[in-house]
Amino acid sequence: MSASSAKILVIDDDPDFREAVTAILASAGHRVVPATGPEDGKAKILTERPDLVLLDIMMDSLFDGYALCHAIKTGQEFESVRGTPVVFVSAVKDIAGSRFGFHGGAEGLSAPDDYLDKPVKPADLLALVGRFLAK
Amino acid sequence: MALSPLVLVIDDEESMRDSCAQILARMGCRVETAADGEAGLRRAGEARPDAVIVDLKMPGMGGLEVLDAVRTLDPQVVTIVITGYATVDAAVEAMKKGAYDFLPKPFTPDELRLIIGRALERRHLALEAERLRREKKLLEDNVITLVSHQLRSPLVAVQQYFEVLLAGMAGGLEEKPRAMIRKASERLTGLMNLINDWLDLAKIDKGGLVGKLRPVALRPLLEKQVEFLTPVASEHGLVLAWGECLENIPPAWGDPASLEQVFSNLLHNAIVYNRPGGRVEVGLGEADEAVLVTIRDTGIGIAAKDLPFIFDEFYRVSRGEGARSKGSGLGLPIAKKIVEAHGGRVDVASVLGEGTTFTVRLPKAEASGPSP
Repeated sequence: MSASSAKILVIDDDPDFREAVTAILASAGHRVVPATGPEDGKAKILTERPDLVLLDIMMDSLFDGYALCHAIKTGQEFESVRGTPVVFVSAVKDIAGSRFGFHGGAEGLSAPDDYLDKPVKPADLLALVGRFLAK
Repeated sequence: MALSPLVLVIDDEESMRDSCAQILARMGCRVETAADGEAGLRRAGEARPDAVIVDLKMPGMGGLEVLDAVRTLDPQVVTIVITGYATVDAAVEAMKKGAYDFLPKPFTPDELRLIIGRALERRHLALEAERLRREKKLLEDNVITLVSHQLRSPLVAVQQYFEVLLAGMAGGLEEKPRAMIRKASERLTGLMNLINDWLDLAKIDKGGLVGKLRPVALRPLLEKQVEFLTPVASEHGLVLAWGECLENIPPAWGDPASLEQVFSNLLHNAIVYNRPGGRVEVGLGEADEAVLVTIRDTGIGIAAKDLPFIFDEFYRVSRGEGARSKGSGLGLPIAKKIVEAHGGRVDVASVLGEGTTFTVRLPKAEASGPSP
């Protein structure tokens, strides 16, 4: 990836949220690949090979953000994209206290590389992307 | 019901099976038949009938046995037994085993129609009741999460657009529309906070917000809150500082995350209902079995007539239009409920125009918890 511009997969079932986040990322020259949900995201991470995945937790189906993150981190089919950082972007209040323990990996789920609360502050999001680009 | 009801007739007499089947089919039922208990049970397992009509006296597996077995397969199935000669004893026995009704041979088509009609109605109601019970349970278990998600999603999307607009990422904004969007965004934040607070209250009422209790050192927990809220206090032209604070205070018996919320709510109030140039002081002490945290402000104070109500949900002391959107009106009730869930207490003392002191009393870990 180039030093300043990244290809970012935004997996979220809310089209308006995707549009707003795309505007933020585009303003800094990043390229956004939108995915409409976990299934779509699962396919696109393999075909698009993004530099970073922004993943909503979307708890309304069994294959949710938690499950997709776990699959990316441990599933055999994702071996070729294993190093891709995954960031939860969620309005689930208090991620640490929910089904997922961010620090402990409760229920044996793999942790994301970072997380952001929704709504995201544009500056926070761009700073986070910058941190992962620098790695 | 989407499908017409399915009735299984189990009888060793072919003529009986056929005539029942004809009558039932004319009523609009789907009908299955079986010539003995074993076959009937197999059909019941495969076809899942709504009602089973079974002859009590059959060679091989008897009617009562069949009755037991089909009810094990589906407790809601309605069963009707056919008694060969009107022996009351056999019928009573069958009813005791959960049969819905009995038909003494010989019976007329009308009698069969009447009984099966009632039986299917009962089946329908039982299934409906079961479905409603399950739905209610599911809703009760998840209502807070569902409501939270459904309410928050659209607001998050709106707020995200505001963030983009205010950051100038959708093109430049003139000063006036920018100011209006900022206000809209602030009001939306207030609404989201209200929803969060209300959900927290609902969770506390369900016993879900306060986590597992353990020894909590209050000093570092409070230091974190003070550090976090110092910039907020400065914005309000206030000093947030430590007041009287005893050393070596034993840990409290509590849930750190919910205690953080208690002190955050109380400190927020002390800051928001204050005056420029004022102070907010945090103190730490102990008394007998309790650890005491005091939050003292030099704010506007609370009138004696309002004091009894400040922990009520949505009660807000009227302060004119300016204070309208400052809080959800739920911060104090949440704090009080959390502290009470810890077996503690929140007390308040206030003088109008001079300031307010909240005292949070929490049980000491050594007195409450298992000894280490």
